[in-house]
Amino acid sequence: MKSKQRDLIVIIPAHEEEASVGEVVTRVCKLGFPVVVIDDASSDGTAKAAEAAGALVITLNNRLGAWMAAQTGLHYAYERGFKIAVTLDADGQHAPEAIEILLRPLYAREADVVIGSCLSRLSSCRRFAGYFFRKLTGLAIQDITSGFRAYNHMALAALIRKEASLLDYQDLGVLLHLHHAGFVIREVSVPMNPRRNGKSRIFSSWWEVVRYLVATGILGLAKRT
Amino acid sequence: MISYSITSAIIGGTIGLSILYLIRQDRLRAPYAVWWMIVALAVILLGLFPQLVDLIASRLGVHYPPILVVIVALGLLLLKILTMDIERTKQEQQLRRLTQRIALLEAKLKELESENKV
Repeated sequence: MKSKQRDLIVIIPAHEEEASVGEVVTRVCKLGFPVVVIDDASSDGTAKAAEAAGALVITLNNRLGAWMAAQTGLHYAYERGFKIAVTLDADGQHAPEAIEILLRPLYAREADVVIGSCLSRLSSCRRFAGYFFRKLTGLAIQDITSGFRAYNHMALAALIRKEASLLDYQDLGVLLHLHHAGFVIREVSVPMNPRRNGKSRIFSSWWEVVRYLVATGILGLAKRT
Repeated sequence: MISYSITSAIIGGTIGLSILYLIRQDRLRAPYAVWWMIVALAVILLGLFPQLVDLIASRLGVHYPPILVVIVALGLLLLKILTMDIERTKQEQQLRRLTQRIALLEAKLKELESENKV
């Protein structure tokens, strides 16, 4: 395992996550993985907290959203020649200790992309959204919004292309992009913690939910498989 | 009462002069102005010769000629707005890529600086 750890980098997109990002970084560092935090134009001390905990911080000048922040990290990973990139949320809902579970299908060469999903955490609203999008796009994935993912080197190369720079969330659009490029996507079940501070940005209000569902629905319809 | 053709010629002329003024002030790029100059010319032309509309409308089987002008104008405006959004999407993509690029370069610079200090 030790030799493999040099090939892997953990990417944490963060926007206003001062309270939790430090602990997440510390836990990842304990596992021996290099960490890069993409500070998505936060106005609080996110960058400082991440740096103090031992992460390399890349700061975006203007807010680009969670996926674009993650993509910046993937760029970094690709340029530095990392073989595998794992993304996880800065709010502490993904346990870094579960990265190992994510890596198994990658090392076994059973998949190019692995999604860490926690089905028990999904609310009925999310379940319905998931069902709707599965029917719409033909993608057989339960937890499309999970930001806990592992990508191999080839998937990295595909994700940093400029076509993927028009997406807003690390969800359906990214998965469809990968699916169209012929990558094998696997889902594994991982334990998750409830969010300690704040709520999901996508599912923050009814209006946001509707907007998200409609925008993602149109994207799914246009790019259905 | 002035005639209809003078009114629309004035409107067309005003649009045309405004476009030229905006280009002169560096507030409008010439390629974008082409479209608006064509609009200005069309307004002047149709204003001076309203019978042109009647002629085209009768050829196309439209019984009420003024509605043809409205429909065509609406269609062209929709087309224009759509191409603007396409352009905006391209610019958004470029802006996002540039923001990423700068952030990555800054990170690299910081790394190099700290290496040099040691």
